[in-house]
Amino acid sequence: MNRTARWRRLAMQAILYLFLAAVVCVAVAPIVWVVLSSFKTNAEILNNALSFPTSFGLEGYRIALELAPLAKYFVNSLIVSGLSTVLNVLVLAMAAYAFARLEFRGKSLLYIILCTAMVIPMTSLMHPVYLVINRLHLYDTKTGLVLVYAALGLPISLMILRSFFLTVPKSLEEAAYVDGAGFVRTFAQIMLPVAKPALASAGVLQFLTAWNEFTYALVLTNSNNARTLPLSLGFFTSQFSYNYTAMFAAISIAVLPSILVFAIFQEQVVNSMVTGAVKE
Amino acid sequence: MKKRGRWGYVFVLPAALLFLLVYGIPLVTVFVTSLFDYRIFPDRFTFIGLENYCKLFFQDQAFWQAFFNTVVWLLLQCTVHVALGVLIALILAKRPRGWKTIRVCYMIPNIISASAVGMIFINFYNPEFGILNSLLRLAGLEHLQHNWLYDMSTAFPAVTVTWLLFAGYTTTLVLAEILSVPESIFEAARVDGATGVQMDVRITLPLIKNIIATSTVMAATYMLQMFVLLYVTTKGGPSGLTTNLPLYLYKTALLENNYGYANTMGVFIILIGIAIMTAINRAFGVGKGEE
Repeated sequence: MNRTARWRRLAMQAILYLFLAAVVCVAVAPIVWVVLSSFKTNAEILNNALSFPTSFGLEGYRIALELAPLAKYFVNSLIVSGLSTVLNVLVLAMAAYAFARLEFRGKSLLYIILCTAMVIPMTSLMHPVYLVINRLHLYDTKTGLVLVYAALGLPISLMILRSFFLTVPKSLEEAAYVDGAGFVRTFAQIMLPVAKPALASAGVLQFLTAWNEFTYALVLTNSNNARTLPLSLGFFTSQFSYNYTAMFAAISIAVLPSILVFAIFQEQVVNSMVTGAVKE
Repeated sequence: MKKRGRWGYVFVLPAALLFLLVYGIPLVTVFVTSLFDYRIFPDRFTFIGLENYCKLFFQDQAFWQAFFNTVVWLLLQCTVHVALGVLIALILAKRPRGWKTIRVCYMIPNIISASAVGMIFINFYNPEFGILNSLLRLAGLEHLQHNWLYDMSTAFPAVTVTWLLFAGYTTTLVLAEILSVPESIFEAARVDGATGVQMDVRITLPLIKNIIATSTVMAATYMLQMFVLLYVTTKGGPSGLTTNLPLYLYKTALLENNYGYANTMGVFIILIGIAIMTAINRAFGVGKGEE
């Protein structure tokens, strides 16, 4: 009796761990395969897709950079993601602080309206957003993308930052006011430094959103001047491209920065996702 | 204090402007232009009332196919995807060895760009050197090989897999919620003799009902907006078999330049979104006197 129970428990454990191993495998193996393949030669890839690379040369990366303006797109991605993150976090820190601390007419209505952005299926607004950006003469510019991306992360950043400001004790600001500091100065010199962890959480998520965004980059740009890294992969799916090594290298270039950012800021990403989901 | 209240408007203003530019004005535009025959080749902008809607519902077969696919994917995502995410969260909540690493690994497909995921799967399914066909060859099952993404018989399930199994986001949310439940609740149940599975079903699941509802809404919203993975992999083919509403909207707007008609679809997508959210929240009984 005791023995069967123990066996059953062992079997359960084994199934559990097998299942978890499968989960990890499904999630990570294709990516590992792509990165490994980026070091193989074309012939090696076609010969045996599942073999390990024989050497770790960077030839594929060199060719990828030649075939597509990857470096240019990479820099564009950095600029657009970086600026949209700064804009998003700054603008929403201000708004979140006002919502958390001040009383003004229409406050709750305004807050609800801004939060509805969370549930609007953004692909339904492709053409109207294009119209707005075009009217502002920002079509095919990095500025246009920065504005749109900063707005994409609007609701989630707002929730993260507001819920943070609500936890800060009011005594902190009151001391500043007693010392004669104005509202703006108190916000900039006292509250923003205190809010660093929340700013980081919102910022990391915003950066990832912008770095990975594809749809609006496709709709709002048409030249190498403003196009971002996710779009560059299109160069490698055209039927004229037979350089698989370079394609795998290009995918790796697009994927690794996101994984790196996530690996470093794991805690922040998870925290901000949780805050963003648990409304109110 | 009253004086400071005025700063509220100043501080909210930039965010409100951003909202207007990307959500507010486009929302109004999408509703208004859906009532117009609005295109550039030939250049036209005439009021036609509900004609676009009539055409959409009664004459356009491609629309119904896209709608049907969207609904099937939505249902799959709200059931299979969410259930998988919750199941993995329940397992990880028992803190098996390496549970933190597993959570991180499972998140990775959710934090890399969808276009890269699409590219990875194009290669995964590649008929010559893809993992799937290579493994089948290795197992001596050559006859099961397919051109997975472009074959009529396999395109739909193949493309579905590119998002259905990756529920890392749901897992992370649900896991965070379970871990925030006070340990004493579980202890009391354990004292009463509840076993692992009984605890999950009778105690944990009811406690995390709200976050499951939230995850379901998010899964539905995600699916309703699905565009990139389809655009990168099958482009809606073969012959519309894997087209959904956003992809059809994109084709109508940017390839056919039939803006009024595309925006009619936009309105339809937004309305479905509202309907689904209401339905899911009602199904889970969220917001009914509990809080």
